[in-house]
Amino acid sequence: MIRVPQLAVAGVLLCAGATMAQMSHNHGGHTNPKCTDASLGCAMQATPTFASDGTLWLAWAANGIVSVAHSPDLGRTFSTPVAVNQEPLDLDWGPDSRPNIAVDKDGRVFVAFARFKDQAFNGQVLTTRSIDGGRSFTPPAPITANPESQRFEALALDADGSLVAAWLDKRNRVPAAARNEKYIGAGLAFSWSHDHGVTFSEAEIAQDNTCECCRVAVAFAGPGRPVVAFRNVFGGTVRDHAVTTFLDPQTPGPIYRVSVDDWKTDVCPHQGPSLAIAPDGSYHVAWFTNGGVRKGLFYARSTDGGRTFSAPTPVGDAERNPSRAYLLAVGDALWLAWKEFDGERTTVAAMASRDAGRTWSSPRILAQTGDASDHPLLVADGKQVFLSWQTRAEGYRLLPLESRQ
Amino acid sequence: MKKWLLLLLLIGLTLAPAMRSSSAVDGLHPFGRGAWQEIRKAHAGQPLVVHFWGVTCGPCRTEMPQWGKFLEEHADLHLVMIDADLVPNLPGAVKTMLEQSGLAAAENWMFDDDFVERLRYEIDPQWQGEIPRTLLIAPDGTMTTIEGVADLDKIRIWLDRQAPPSR
Repeated sequence: MIRVPQLAVAGVLLCAGATMAQMSHNHGGHTNPKCTDASLGCAMQATPTFASDGTLWLAWAANGIVSVAHSPDLGRTFSTPVAVNQEPLDLDWGPDSRPNIAVDKDGRVFVAFARFKDQAFNGQVLTTRSIDGGRSFTPPAPITANPESQRFEALALDADGSLVAAWLDKRNRVPAAARNEKYIGAGLAFSWSHDHGVTFSEAEIAQDNTCECCRVAVAFAGPGRPVVAFRNVFGGTVRDHAVTTFLDPQTPGPIYRVSVDDWKTDVCPHQGPSLAIAPDGSYHVAWFTNGGVRKGLFYARSTDGGRTFSAPTPVGDAERNPSRAYLLAVGDALWLAWKEFDGERTTVAAMASRDAGRTWSSPRILAQTGDASDHPLLVADGKQVFLSWQTRAEGYRLLPLESRQ
Repeated sequence: MKKWLLLLLLIGLTLAPAMRSSSAVDGLHPFGRGAWQEIRKAHAGQPLVVHFWGVTCGPCRTEMPQWGKFLEEHADLHLVMIDADLVPNLPGAVKTMLEQSGLAAAENWMFDDDFVERLRYEIDPQWQGEIPRTLLIAPDGTMTTIEGVADLDKIRIWLDRQAPPSR
């Protein structure tokens, strides 16, 4: 008898506090506000990768916990999720931030993610690995001992099994402040692990003053030669895109501009590029801009190792706010997927090119949703390409695009 | 047992709306679906300045106190401040920044639905969420968009050109 009123009181207080509770949602990572656990259903993002045996691996963040699970049957069933961090962290919940996952040919699983260290949104990139098929992970450890802010890490496996990480790092604002100079944006940092994720080399800055709030994209021009696409800050004010191709693992090459959009702005776009490199060596970049020269979502290609790019071509229906493009090269096919929004529903469209980006198929709508959704991602198991998309209403979806054959 | 439940249900029904409006009294209206039309309706026929900002937005930190001074200079200004941070903000941090900027008494809203594409679409279908951003809405509904930090002198000129506000 006594317990009923207590429960009812709790209910009343919950209702009364609902307004403020709703307004504090999302604290602690990209989390579905209706959810309180670390399950995939509570995540607003999921990052996929395929192992060489065709197993799908997924990393996601919900309520401060990064979890990993794998699926033997293309996402129909998943293993029991394993938490990578035991205590909830204040995970980086910027729109372009997400956990990264890579699985090497021997089945080692690598995860990298960023957390906020303080109230000023200073980040820290953490890495962890599993050598027992994802059953357990090492305690997440900082990728660098440097205490300055790190965010937007990207993890990629080289042909020899080395891991390269690129991220945005604000360490060089310290010497700039000592000289009484303002440091714009963040540096593009990189580091290698040659011991399968146990240790990472001392981080180095490939480029200073890049845009501090956008994802970076990594692909390979060849063994030991990562290519990084990122939103740079040109001349202190113009936030246009650039690529750099490493000359060797330790030597970033010159910075080349993908496109002169002339987005002269002090706003943070929170929208970084996507990069793919086709087997013929051509580079492919897709990006969003609101520049003086052009506005919208664009694609361009380079056939000279990223020195010069084709004239940007618009992607998607300009009337439907195309955004969040993602490129993937698989065999002789190149795929490009993106999001559109018509005021009610978000759709993901995709198109393919069989001639390294010279011509493209008509866009095809792959999926839609009527509520909040993750960026669309493309992933391939070596034969087939899939759209990987986490949405609040539908949960996780892995949808096959047409087969390469 | 039933009496208890009924009584508490009644308290709940009376308390819930009270709490909702008290959050607005605190200075923060939740900006959900339809809020934009509500704002437009409330200020219809008046020159309206709408400023979008966010706690994690670097330029906003320096710009916000300028808006505080601007509001002080223009006591009868129809100014609406909307926190539309792409990184969801905590209400406490939002209020602190508004107070520090002298904007606690302004008409303050905060994005309150993480289907943000939809909220933004109601305001401007082309907007992908970059802040700071300012909209100047003339009494006839003509809208001028300023991306990035606003030049307040230009807004003064724009205000002078509008019909004198009746408020």
